[in-house]
Amino acid sequence: MATALETVREYTGGEYKYGFVTDIESDMAPNGLSEDVIRLISAKKNEPEWLTEMRLAAYHRWLTMKEPTWQKVDYEPIDYQAISYYAAPKIKERPKSLDEIDPEILRTYEKLGIPIKEQEILAGVAVDYVFDSVSVATTFRKKLHELGIIFCSISEAIQDHPELVRKYLGSVVPAGDNFFAALNAAVFTDGSFVYIPKGVRCPMELSTYFRINEKGTGQFERTLIIADEGSYVSYLEGCTAPQRDENQLHAAVVELITLDDAEIKYSTVQNWYPGDAEGKGGIYNFVTKRGACRGKNSKISWTQVETGSAITWKYPSCILQGDNSVGEFYSVAVTNNRQQADTGTKMIHIGKNTRSHIIAKGISAGTSDSTYRGLVKILKSAEGARNYTQCDSMLIGDKCGAHTVPYIEVRNRSAKCEHEATTSKISDDQLFYCRQRGIPEEDAVALIVNGFCREVMDELPMEFAVEARKLLAISLEHSVG
Amino acid sequence: MSALRNRTIEPVPAFAEALERLRGEAAGSSGRALEQRNAAFERFQALGVPTSRVENWKYTNAASFANRPFALAPRGTVDSSLIIPHFAGGHKARRLILVNGRTIPQFSHLGGLPAGMTVRPLAQVLAETPELVDRTSVNDEPEHSFEALNRALVEDGAWISLEDGVALDEPLQVISILTEAESAFMTHPRHVIRLGKDAKLRLILTTVALGQADSLMNQVETVEIADGADLTIDRTLEQGQGRSAITRSRFVLGSRSRLQQTTASIGGSLIRHEMEARLRGTHSEAILNGLMMPRGTEHVDTLIRMHHEMPDCQSDQFYKTVADDRGRAVFAGKIFVHKDAQRTNSYQKNDSLLLSDDAEIDAKPELEIYADDVKCSHGATCGDLDPASLFYLRSRGLDEALARSMLTFAFTGEVLERIADESVEHIVRRMILSRLPGGERLAELG
Repeated sequence: MATALETVREYTGGEYKYGFVTDIESDMAPNGLSEDVIRLISAKKNEPEWLTEMRLAAYHRWLTMKEPTWQKVDYEPIDYQAISYYAAPKIKERPKSLDEIDPEILRTYEKLGIPIKEQEILAGVAVDYVFDSVSVATTFRKKLHELGIIFCSISEAIQDHPELVRKYLGSVVPAGDNFFAALNAAVFTDGSFVYIPKGVRCPMELSTYFRINEKGTGQFERTLIIADEGSYVSYLEGCTAPQRDENQLHAAVVELITLDDAEIKYSTVQNWYPGDAEGKGGIYNFVTKRGACRGKNSKISWTQVETGSAITWKYPSCILQGDNSVGEFYSVAVTNNRQQADTGTKMIHIGKNTRSHIIAKGISAGTSDSTYRGLVKILKSAEGARNYTQCDSMLIGDKCGAHTVPYIEVRNRSAKCEHEATTSKISDDQLFYCRQRGIPEEDAVALIVNGFCREVMDELPMEFAVEARKLLAISLEHSVG
Repeated sequence: MSALRNRTIEPVPAFAEALERLRGEAAGSSGRALEQRNAAFERFQALGVPTSRVENWKYTNAASFANRPFALAPRGTVDSSLIIPHFAGGHKARRLILVNGRTIPQFSHLGGLPAGMTVRPLAQVLAETPELVDRTSVNDEPEHSFEALNRALVEDGAWISLEDGVALDEPLQVISILTEAESAFMTHPRHVIRLGKDAKLRLILTTVALGQADSLMNQVETVEIADGADLTIDRTLEQGQGRSAITRSRFVLGSRSRLQQTTASIGGSLIRHEMEARLRGTHSEAILNGLMMPRGTEHVDTLIRMHHEMPDCQSDQFYKTVADDRGRAVFAGKIFVHKDAQRTNSYQKNDSLLLSDDAEIDAKPELEIYADDVKCSHGATCGDLDPASLFYLRSRGLDEALARSMLTFAFTGEVLERIADESVEHIVRRMILSRLPGGERLAELG
């Protein structure tokens, strides 16, 4: 249902514009958040009454909440009234060609082997082009449609499949869950929606990367993925190349739901702008991700490689409700310069024989701080639950910090929980070995770090894995010597 | 204070009344001592009693203490026959006995201490030379509500001081007895322990509750271990129903010094032991071992903050937990490696046995590390007894209960063998066995 309004909305959702600037000025909400702004967003998006109510309820909840301070990150207070929640009011001068882009970023594209057209999109260059991926995406969508798979933006889903959205939206991350989730529930403008019908195995990796209309709507993204009985889907989020982005604050919410025997594999490579070496600028990535294994024998697997953002605050979690359900979390978090990452997972064991597996690798360099914070909770009903957690931290340089804050709560005696964590520096012996064989120090560091992260990298889908490896090396450049 | 409002609660007037009583009694003593009490009490009121919304008290509810009208502990003494069974450290050991937080000189045995070693009631030191207590380096403004309360309401405790190079060959045992009583009471003992350079001491800290009472023991220990000094502590704490104990031990270690402590916090209504060790010199070592064994509706909580402030130090935390019935055990250990503490080796291990579906174990093993040339690790496990081992014992004719007890006892063995003093080990062994079904049969088996 691509109404004129819809089209306008699509192009005003964020900062990547195609010259509609003058047309849409009247559509922009003033800075700040109020009931009127939320009603405006809802009306612009032609949303049903229940969703408007949902947004307003979330907004009122948000007003009573305080910004969390328990996480181990420092940042200047955010002025929530200085943000425009519907279309950014000032469209900045955008670079006219790649020549105007920071050569540092271009060099990174080159190293990752990104085609020139994609480079332009990523850098937000204002050019007219027909990007290959658009047609690719269309082909994909046709094929998916034949299988009954719904893969669209959440705004489209609200219009076309309201019964599904209404049933599941906010059922895993309720609006009152936390400060940023409440904010997101009140003002989210776009995101992805995936529904895999019963017994269908999605034949390809679904990705936001190929959904071009998604670009630049990221500030308050809302993603909802539902895997019906016996289905399977692998979803890739983000993109390996650094993205130019004007938004300072990102507060996204991702909800995953698996029914009986279903499986969702969710992979993220996050490489947003981390700020410069002095810690100026950069994205605040405050994201709530949670999956509910509702059905028996279901599985949710999170894999994340976090190298970007000035501040990362996210805890992809699994609620293991169905008997025999499985939750997995594989994470690599790399921080350099003045980046701060506080990330981890929560595994809530409710059903019988539920299993969870956590592998978290943190690498800190420069003057950065990296924290693993996780919870393993085994409720009384979780007969025979099993958890294994391994958190390893590596320090490169003596000015960074690495921290581990696990919580383990066990209420069932038949449950088995294991947790281990280590912290050490990059091994001198290994470095020496590589150097002795003529490998330059930086390459040697990349090699060792890749080895350190291997267990997680192996979980990434092929498309991502190759670039993610290169990305690790790039993130750690200039961290030794 | 608005941020603290829902995180703490205001205490009942009973605490202020206790302060009033102490003020009345101490009319003759120095104005400064009173001032300090008042300041500490104000601090306590400003901090409030923490609720479970405060991170360090997430798993342990101390809020109930704020609402209970505890009076200061009754004075007096108990029959010596009730104390003797708790003697440890051999017949040559020196002993200081406290009843309800006050030293009882006639039961104490402190003769023949080496020159340069003093063991005195803290009340005496506070009355005569309060500046000595002030001078301890761990005497900063308390950020901890119960420590502030202790400072406001302290009556007595142990003063143990060893000059440079002094060593006591035999152990020194401090026995703290809590009596039975009709009405709820509290006591706030404080121990000040100072080891001069290269001094050496083996300390046995025994806390025993006799009979029934609703009591709160809020103890603070400040321990200074100077360069090259060596302190070994064996600590047992067994309290009954209705008994609560909050103990806060603060250790400061100098260069090449050593601390080894093994604690058996067997049980009690609410037992909380906080330890903060600061390694302030190079090449020092701190070892903290412990066993927690709650059953019934008991709650045992251990919180450790291990601060590596200087390079080349080592530390080890080793805690075992057995939770049965509706018991709950909490372990929150943290290794903190400061910026300059290069070449730190620091380990932490917490193994837990969950013997009942109504019991709960909460573990929070933390690392906070700011130096790169370190080796730090922690491990935490939790589970039931190994079915294969159980089957092995059952197949050899042991009944289920005895087999379970035997395996549980074996699980605690690793802590038992770390107890330095043999007589304390025997006492703890007895305490463990008395808590296991068929324990007396196990004892016979040896």
